Amino acid sequence: MSMNWLVNKFEYSLFRHRLVVLVLFAVATLVLLWRATDIKLDAAFSKNIPLKHEYMQTYLKHEQDFGGANNILIAMCDASGDIFNANFFDSLRRAHDDVVYTPGVERVLVKSLFSPSTRFIEVVEDGFAGGPVIPADFTPDAEGLARVKENAEKAGVIGRMVADDYSCAMITASLLEYDPETNLPLDTIAFAGKLENDIRAKYQTEQVSVHIIGFAKMVGDVAEGAKGVVAFFGVAIVITTFMVFLFCRSVMLTVLPIACSLIAVVWQMGLLTVLGFGIDPMSILVPFLVFAIGVSHGVQMINSTGKRVAAGMNAKTAAQASFRKLLIPGGVALLSDTVGFLTLLIIEIGVIRELAITASLGVAVIILTNLILLPVLMSFVRFSKAYQERVAKPNVAADKAWYALSAFATRRYAAVILACTALLFAYGYWQSQQLKIGDLHAGAPALHEDSRYNQDTFLITDRFAISVDYINVMVESIPSACTHHDIMDRIDQFQWLMENVPGVQSAVSLPSVSKVINAAYNEGNAKWRVLPRNAQSLVQASSRVETSTGLLNADCSVMPVMIFLEDHKAETIERVVAAAKQHGAELGDADTRFMLATGPAGVMAATNEAVSAAQQPMMWYVYAAVILLCLLSFRSVRATAAVIIPLYVVSVLATALMTKLQIGLTVSTLPVIALGVGIGVDYGIYILSTMSQQLRDGMPLRQAYFEALKERGSAVLFTGITLAIGVSTWVFSALKFQVDMGILLTFMFIVNMLGAIVVLPALAAFFWRKNN
Amino acid sequence: MHKYLLAGCLSALALTPLAAAMTEQSALPPGEAKPAFMVPLAAKSLLTDVVEITNGQFAAVGDRGHILLSQDGTNWQQAQVPVQSLLTSVYFTDADYGWAVGHDATILHSQDGGKTWQIQQFLPETDKPLMDVYFFDRQRGMAVGAYGMFFTTNDGGNTWDKAFYLSLASVDDQEFLAELEETDPEGYLLERESVLPHFNRLIVAGQQILMVGEAGFVAISEDAGESWRRLEEFYNGSLFDIHRTQAGTLLVAGLRGNLFRSTDNGESWQDIALPVSATLNSIFEDDSGKLYLAGNAGALLLSEDDGLNFVDQSQADGRAVLNGLAIAEQVLLVTEAGVKLTTINKSE
Repeated sequence: MSMNWLVNKFEYSLFRHRLVVLVLFAVATLVLLWRATDIKLDAAFSKNIPLKHEYMQTYLKHEQDFGGANNILIAMCDASGDIFNANFFDSLRRAHDDVVYTPGVERVLVKSLFSPSTRFIEVVEDGFAGGPVIPADFTPDAEGLARVKENAEKAGVIGRMVADDYSCAMITASLLEYDPETNLPLDTIAFAGKLENDIRAKYQTEQVSVHIIGFAKMVGDVAEGAKGVVAFFGVAIVITTFMVFLFCRSVMLTVLPIACSLIAVVWQMGLLTVLGFGIDPMSILVPFLVFAIGVSHGVQMINSTGKRVAAGMNAKTAAQASFRKLLIPGGVALLSDTVGFLTLLIIEIGVIRELAITASLGVAVIILTNLILLPVLMSFVRFSKAYQERVAKPNVAADKAWYALSAFATRRYAAVILACTALLFAYGYWQSQQLKIGDLHAGAPALHEDSRYNQDTFLITDRFAISVDYINVMVESIPSACTHHDIMDRIDQFQWLMENVPGVQSAVSLPSVSKVINAAYNEGNAKWRVLPRNAQSLVQASSRVETSTGLLNADCSVMPVMIFLEDHKAETIERVVAAAKQHGAELGDADTRFMLATGPAGVMAATNEAVSAAQQPMMWYVYAAVILLCLLSFRSVRATAAVIIPLYVVSVLATALMTKLQIGLTVSTLPVIALGVGIGVDYGIYILSTMSQQLRDGMPLRQAYFEALKERGSAVLFTGITLAIGVSTWVFSALKFQVDMGILLTFMFIVNMLGAIVVLPALAAFFWRKNN
Repeated sequence: MHKYLLAGCLSALALTPLAAAMTEQSALPPGEAKPAFMVPLAAKSLLTDVVEITNGQFAAVGDRGHILLSQDGTNWQQAQVPVQSLLTSVYFTDADYGWAVGHDATILHSQDGGKTWQIQQFLPETDKPLMDVYFFDRQRGMAVGAYGMFFTTNDGGNTWDKAFYLSLASVDDQEFLAELEETDPEGYLLERESVLPHFNRLIVAGQQILMVGEAGFVAISEDAGESWRRLEEFYNGSLFDIHRTQAGTLLVAGLRGNLFRSTDNGESWQDIALPVSATLNSIFEDDSGKLYLAGNAGALLLSEDDGLNFVDQSQADGRAVLNGLAIAEQVLLVTEAGVKLTTINKSE
């Protein structure tokens, strides 16, 4: 066969020039290690946005005029429960100024009691009075503070800039995509650090507490927690190393696969830097996955070599034989992983695409490090006589156990196993259908509920009428649309209908503000809180609203309806979006269009929809890639089905587990299922690749399976358990995201292993009827 | 007067580029009556008036054509209403017959205790609100509102006739109008449309009808509205409610906490100092003669001495209270944030 000829040829030249190979690998590793030290955590807001989604087209169109969705809220609270004291106002003023002058902040959009655009109007007998809430001659004495309090009430900023119970004040800011000083994309994580050091550390005292939320802060906290991830990697590596030693009882055979897997990680990180990528905090687990997959293949390699050494071969021949035996199945497994991960590129969200590149790159380099470098390195190992004898000793107990296990390949057991699998699958499928899209909880799901960030979120939602969870419906209309009663009235109707949607906390738009101003023109009489039909009166009511409020653009052809939500749970957003679409269609026409959507919740709506739309195709593509490669290598539909069916059952069960654990399908969790397929496919391919040739030669199934277990079963079993133990320590992580991933990966390592050892032979019992 | 001040404000506004771009067209858009949305938050929207139809049956009206009915003051059901205009007042002559008025000079009528409503008048092109409605019986009634709008009916509202009483204008304006009628009949008709102040409230007390409005306007009719006498000005700000107490005292309340008291049927008025400076929207009384004042910024005041002294019982939420009713030990308030049933600590 030409494939065999190719492998032979490759094997021959590889082992003939072992030193050259080693030098090449050493040089590459050194260079990439040097590059890998430059790797940066990188988390730009726009990476998390599905830019091609129709909502995001609206978002990009209006970003210039109305600011983006990348906002931060800084609440400062006074321990006394009342902010109206000199000390607090001094802190608030300085914090406001510091925020304004923090690079990356859109200065004109910084809002607090101290921003010049915070003004009030009031009605007096002879007309209007008005001015800044904090007057120019403000002195922080009892009189001055009482006046500010009164002005704040008149300005209607209670609930927005001042807490409902007057215990806190708010500074809000919108972030720029590019740092105006450097013209480079804004370094979100560094920005979050500045918030922590220059704002929180500076103003947090016994009297004043500082609470900061918003995307940038959340990512900063995740990145902070991600540093702890490194320690968990360390623990996982130590555990794995120890287990590998227990498995092979040879220091050299332990060190080599671990070292090669670590080299794969180094290459991956180095290549990412070379290609100009960083690592997103949400992808921080990928290097460990690469390590895990590397170990899985490495253990197969040392297992195979060790067995051959025991059979009397010298190290070089044994390594060479293992290389030849494992290059195809290992290569196929790794290639299907690579292709599978690459399919994630179809999802048009930056952070998932980066993950696709990160993961597929990592898996591809394992082909080089663990299927090529590892056997070459092993060929230099000098195995002691004692080792040879120890391994050669027939392990009666193990063989007995393997023989017992091989009963799974008999029809009697197989029927039971398949029935149980079918039941599990049915239950899993039903559960997996309940999987929710998006975030299921208030706050940041990547962080623990008792984390500072989430506590700050709860405090702010509790004490203020606003939060970062708002969606803007952009009303695009004709120039000077705000002078047309009909248009303003429809926007007003839309707002009212939206306010009545469950999950909406409040809403504001130019018409709703204009109505209050119209009442103010009529002596503050609420019975005049209407949109005047007369254009002049309407102009009078709406022109008092400045564009800096974000409620209109310069010619009022665009007017957002800002809808504040109680939370950003997927179902809340979905309900609000559905209602907005329905009412927008009813009230809109060719001239006046209710366009979804901007604002943080608008971005989430788009992301949820993109993720939801990507879920099915992603699975199709991943499986298509794996099936194709299995078909190519096994040249057998039966063998392919025997590998793929258990894999699919595990995918479904993993999805069911996500439902059970209340993990929603988001940008960060979507790829996990695809990654799970990558982890799982190795086991099945290794087991089946030894069996398929023997089955073709007519060996009875149970016998063939027994041989496969003897040869590779221990490595499969061992890998599954070892990696599961390694990741299970993640439940102690400070990042909720890592805890969730730890549970999911532990599950996938174990259950995929069981799938290959239990379900695969049971399927074989029915697929290869002639071999009974 | 208020209108001239507005013009001043307008000229200041014209400085903004937006206003400049907007002055080109000013034709009034035609409005069609659209039925009010039936929504869960109707009872939490801006409400302007509340009445007791019969024992333990309440009706409240307000923003966006909201009319709500309740048996207990706590649970409210929204009625089907054919308009979305902001309603300002509601009146029932008996358990079945009722009228509600509001913006767009809307007059609605119900014959089934408020469950269903029909349009009797809807004039969006006027762009003026009616502010109050009163019916002597099922046939004879009147509705008043902004810019001196005054409608009467003798057939239960099937036809509404526009009324104009020269006596309701200020003395200066009366002279001016008389002259204009001679020289420029067309101009006279036009001027009539805007010369009168806003009429904010109309009450019937015994044989008298009392009306208050903009710029210190108070008027009395002794003959069921056939003729009117405007009282001499004692205050130049807007008045929003007038009330005759059980003891026969007259109280008028208005802008920025202004309250005036008269024990001689309006001949002389005494300025009552109050502990709040918010605009007062309503005066109401319970069976025992306790008086309540309700107003903007949550203002609520209580008097147990026929309106001489008031105790501040303002609501902490700061929501404007538009009107109220005293029922048993509680007060039923309609506010800018909907209905509010609350107990007043009367011992204070």
